[in-house]
Amino acid sequence: MLKETRREFLEKLFVRGGLLSAGFLFIWNIAKYIYPKLSAPVFRKVVVAKLDEIKSGGAKEINFGGQLFYLVNVNGKYKVFSSTCTHLGCKVRWEVNNQRFFCPCHRGVFDKDGRVISGPPPRPLDEFKVEVDSKFIYIWIEEKQSGGMI
Amino acid sequence: MTEEKKLSERIPIDFKGVIKTILNEPIPGHMKNWFYALGATPLVLFVFQVITGILLTFYYVPSPDLAYQSVKHITEEVRLGFWIRGLHRWGSNLMVIAIFLHMIRVFFTRAYRKPRELNWIIGVLMLITTLGLCFTGYSLIYNQLSYWATTVGTNMIKEIPILGDLFLRLLRGGEVVGINTLTRLFDLHIGFLPTFLFVLILLHIILVRLHGVSRLEGMEDDEVYGFYPEHVYHVAIIALFLLTVMSALTIILPPGIGEPADPNFTPLHIKPEWYFFAIYFILKYIPLKLGISLVILFLITMTFWPFIDEFLRKKYPTVKWHFIFGSIAIIIFLIFTVYETIVY
Amino acid sequence: MKNELKTQRVIIGVFSILLTVILVIIAGIEAKKTTEAKPVIEISGVNKRCVNCHIERGIAVKAIDQWKESQHAIKNIGCIDCHKAEKGDFDAFYCPDSDILVGRHPTPKDCAECHEQQVKEFAESKHAHQFWIIKNDDRAIFEPTIATRNGCEQCHNISIVWPDQSVGECDACHPKHTFSRAVARQPETCGECHIGPDHPHIEIYLESKHGNIFRAKEKYMNLNYSSKDLKKIPIEVPTCTTCHIDGNETQPSTHNVSARLAWESQSPWSYRTVWLEDKLGDWKIKRGRMESICKSCHSPDFVETYFLTADLANLQYNELRRTFVYWVKKLNKNGLIKDLEANGKKYSDVVLNGWDEEPEYLMYHAWHHEGRRFRHGAIMMGADYTQWHGIWDLQNDLIELIRWAAEHGDPEAKQWANSKHPSKFMPYAIYDIPGNAWGINPLANKIQFLYTNYNDYWDRIYQNVKYAYEKGLLSEKQWQLWLKRYNNKEHYLGTKYNVDSVYNYYLKLNSIDTKAMNEQVVNMQPPGKPFYQPGFGVMVEFNEKTRDLYLGEKKENLKTQNQKNE
Repeated sequence: MLKETRREFLEKLFVRGGLLSAGFLFIWNIAKYIYPKLSAPVFRKVVVAKLDEIKSGGAKEINFGGQLFYLVNVNGKYKVFSSTCTHLGCKVRWEVNNQRFFCPCHRGVFDKDGRVISGPPPRPLDEFKVEVDSKFIYIWIEEKQSGGMI
Repeated sequence: MTEEKKLSERIPIDFKGVIKTILNEPIPGHMKNWFYALGATPLVLFVFQVITGILLTFYYVPSPDLAYQSVKHITEEVRLGFWIRGLHRWGSNLMVIAIFLHMIRVFFTRAYRKPRELNWIIGVLMLITTLGLCFTGYSLIYNQLSYWATTVGTNMIKEIPILGDLFLRLLRGGEVVGINTLTRLFDLHIGFLPTFLFVLILLHIILVRLHGVSRLEGMEDDEVYGFYPEHVYHVAIIALFLLTVMSALTIILPPGIGEPADPNFTPLHIKPEWYFFAIYFILKYIPLKLGISLVILFLITMTFWPFIDEFLRKKYPTVKWHFIFGSIAIIIFLIFTVYETIVY
Repeated sequence: MKNELKTQRVIIGVFSILLTVILVIIAGIEAKKTTEAKPVIEISGVNKRCVNCHIERGIAVKAIDQWKESQHAIKNIGCIDCHKAEKGDFDAFYCPDSDILVGRHPTPKDCAECHEQQVKEFAESKHAHQFWIIKNDDRAIFEPTIATRNGCEQCHNISIVWPDQSVGECDACHPKHTFSRAVARQPETCGECHIGPDHPHIEIYLESKHGNIFRAKEKYMNLNYSSKDLKKIPIEVPTCTTCHIDGNETQPSTHNVSARLAWESQSPWSYRTVWLEDKLGDWKIKRGRMESICKSCHSPDFVETYFLTADLANLQYNELRRTFVYWVKKLNKNGLIKDLEANGKKYSDVVLNGWDEEPEYLMYHAWHHEGRRFRHGAIMMGADYTQWHGIWDLQNDLIELIRWAAEHGDPEAKQWANSKHPSKFMPYAIYDIPGNAWGINPLANKIQFLYTNYNDYWDRIYQNVKYAYEKGLLSEKQWQLWLKRYNNKEHYLGTKYNVDSVYNYYLKLNSIDTKAMNEQVVNMQPPGKPFYQPGFGVMVEFNEKTRDLYLGEKKENLKTQNQKNE
């Protein structure tokens, strides 16, 4: 083993340390660049209906952000369901006479609470958080994260 | 030992020998001068450009509607996007400068003389490819400069005799600069031109290695030293230095975005990038066809200069032709470029 | 060689450290970048059709941008939610080339679908009162209607009664389509209508300390705050809405501007409001609401004293009004001024208006312009409007009126005109209060003619104020406050404090001023003779005769000056 002086050791340390730190930071910054910013999702509430617009057992189609939702009045309690069937993604329809959601693709059937009655869907309809005050019915939606891109 | 043996059976290359040859290449003493590291500099910058370029393609969208927006997104919203974009932008400028300086060094030390003429030609091809990369690169931003520079640039291509029209339509992908143009320029910029340049770099370096580093005239028996570690250290220092400087420049002089492209409105003062100022100047004051012919003539002269130089030297051995031609070319280039910079 | 290599390695180390530093700086800059998430406005359903068509045809496209900034857009209230219409609505029409039925004029009825409380509050305020139609004489007779379309009609549109029976113009204050609260709170918004010689409210506000501080600090004030839920007032100084609409910890905010007003001080006579007493309470309750806003910043003592003084000013105005009314009625009875008449119907009223006879003009201005300026300046801290644009103009109007009567033969007026007694300018009952709300000023109450010449001055005042209190025009609390000051009037008037030594200092300085004035310019004679001979106030020849003629009383000064010169 070759002896090295303290000076040589320190120089080696200096050089290798410098290179290592520079290299690490370089890779780290590039990694930050590549990974998209993941901030906590921001929610916002939007008005979808007035309080007495829908009677018990009724439903209203809500068109928001290019998506379709159903607002249902279940014995005075309001629920908002996504119109996307949980089986393979077709859009369900509300049948007011049968008080149910029907998916035409594979005949999946959900009741007015969003629960699966029959057919292949594996789980109930996706629900959104609903808020009710003295005048309006709101749903809480997630803010789009991008700064306006696409 | 057994692992090595297994590997060498399956990949029958003498790794140790290859590495030894690469690293122990004898380098003449004159190369200790930093001026002679200007060959490695463009290579280092090319590597940076490739890395940052690939990173930029993570977020860039090559569609006329979204190109400008995506560049804005990178610069303003993506984490450290301003840094990567700044590195790419400054890298391209520094690369052109480095290539010019390298070319000047090679030219004035007559390193192109026999038997290295082919390497010189490859070098000229690399210069043109690099300028092509720069041109296609800033056209991708799709701001006013991009759009109108592309329009003017492709119009100039039309002036090439015989094949001009064909090239124009090929490049534009149609009659006017539009969505096809953008995708074609994008393909050129990230696909064809970098690959072509990479191949040229490979050939260039291989030829240098095969011929050996050229000796300076009059210093043929200079001492030699190994490529590693000294020259390698030089290059490492250059790489670190450049990265530091370019990173600093991203903060001090960040690249701008300009106005989004408006096909209906040509801004009053539209100019190409600085390395095209000389050509821009010529084409402003000389009729178009004559100007293009002059530029082509200059390019041909530059490409075959080693042979021309050889011929002239045989005829007039005492005259330093390369000094004369080189100085004139550089002075004219400088005058035109500075003029265009100053004049608004 | 080895040394060179070592140096090179060290240089590599140095540069890599530099690179590290720069990369850290860059990472730091990145970390400091803050991006505020702007809510992404969704446009879906029918609204998408509205927006697309409007943008395509270039119709009112900025309205879309305005809407995008509004709270409506964030909460997903779109075009059709306000502009929806049913067949048969007075303003329903089909958008060109479409099947969408829209209403051109969203009315308070539409706003009330969500903002029921505010619409109701507004409809119960005097902003919704059609008084300008009930008494519309300027517009009905005096000015051509076309000239008033962009005039009276524009401001008074705030009280419009729509064909669908709703009342009001909600976007008068928070304009479409941003419906911005910040704009509604900006004084200039109220000042669009509350401006001008007959109710210079924006001018009074900007003259007041409130307005002055507002102007200085407005760029630091965010007027977009919510005033619901009994929150504290978040701004340093009030704007119009702070006192008249917004709430504080004790008061809920209300769109009923009449809920906090205790006087009808725009009316020909100042009287205590009885507007919707069953809903809003009597004037004392209304005044109480206003005071609780003032008391967010001001001490109760200051607030109550200030209001008492201003209330007495309003009552004083009534006495001037009484005199005006007496005179115009007299002149009318004597046939000196006449009402306008057509087809057996009267179109003017001597005690209210009239546009072609001097006394009518004076009387109208005295209540509609000067009188309002005086009253509103007094109660909203615009001192110049209380004084020079207020009582000064009022008194001059009165004197003009009496002088006109004298010229036209009225014996009572003639007698007044010939009187040389200084009390002639106050031929009406007087109110007063010892001192003011902001301090004790020992010098301010020394020179008034009535103070110094009538021993029973304060007795007479006491009687008048007590009378007003007994008639219910001042509250019990106000009467007690007045009594407190009356019973200690030497303190509040400052007369019990002697600051003569300081005053004498200023008197001395003043006499120096006066002397300088006389010496410099009063007794001077520019040599170049005026072109119109002999000129006025100019001595053609300076001799005994001209000196006496032109200088008169200054004889003495001139004598001493001449003596000095000789």
